[in-house]
Amino acid sequence: MKNNLKVQRAIHDMTQADVAEKIGVSRQTINAMEKGKYVPSTVLALKLSRLFETPVEKLFELENND
Amino acid sequence: MTTSYLLPHKWKTLGWVLLIIGLIGGVYLLFNDLESNLLKVPVFSIFDEPIIGQKGNFHIIENSFMDELTSILIIIGGLIVGFTKERIEDEYIAKLRTESLIWAIVFNYAVLFLGIVFVYGLSFFQVLVFNMFTPLLFFIIRFNFLKLKSNSDEE
Repeated sequence: MKNNLKVQRAIHDMTQADVAEKIGVSRQTINAMEKGKYVPSTVLALKLSRLFETPVEKLFELENND
Repeated sequence: MTTSYLLPHKWKTLGWVLLIIGLIGGVYLLFNDLESNLLKVPVFSIFDEPIIGQKGNFHIIENSFMDELTSILIIIGGLIVGFTKERIEDEYIAKLRTESLIWAIVFNYAVLFLGIVFVYGLSFFQVLVFNMFTPLLFFIIRFNFLKLKSNSDEE
């Protein structure tokens, strides 16, 4: 699964730590997601969607091997 | 995501203290052939079958409590360290913990397998002693390694 969290973060001018604090997770979690090492739960995906005011489908995208 | 079987984060320090004292005791015992004359106290024994002497059940015997104390410290300390919440406990940390547990069990049995195949005689007793603690210790090492690794990854 691909995501454009890094781009969204840049648009909103936020650091990983900012995002982490806003949605109540650790900075490692944000980092792991951006690197594609971790697929978040639906709850976390929806929280990110709410934070960036962007639909989940715009944040995350399925890849061919999913 | 809430995991109810983890202790609050504030217990973590206590866990490390107990574990480290236990490990120091363990190293001391290792250099003394797992025996010691410290803390000789009467203990209640349910099963007792000494190498030399009379065996007996449900009676009081004299025993150095050092090895028992060390084992208890390592186990209690290890359990607390391994199963307390992180400062920020979230689903990614929970995933790291689960993966570390799986890794530790598989790795532990791989090591034990080598021990069974290559270690014989009285030395095998040492393998068994180590194996009482290694699942927990491998888990703690692996979990903390993964946490550190994901911590040091730059943005």
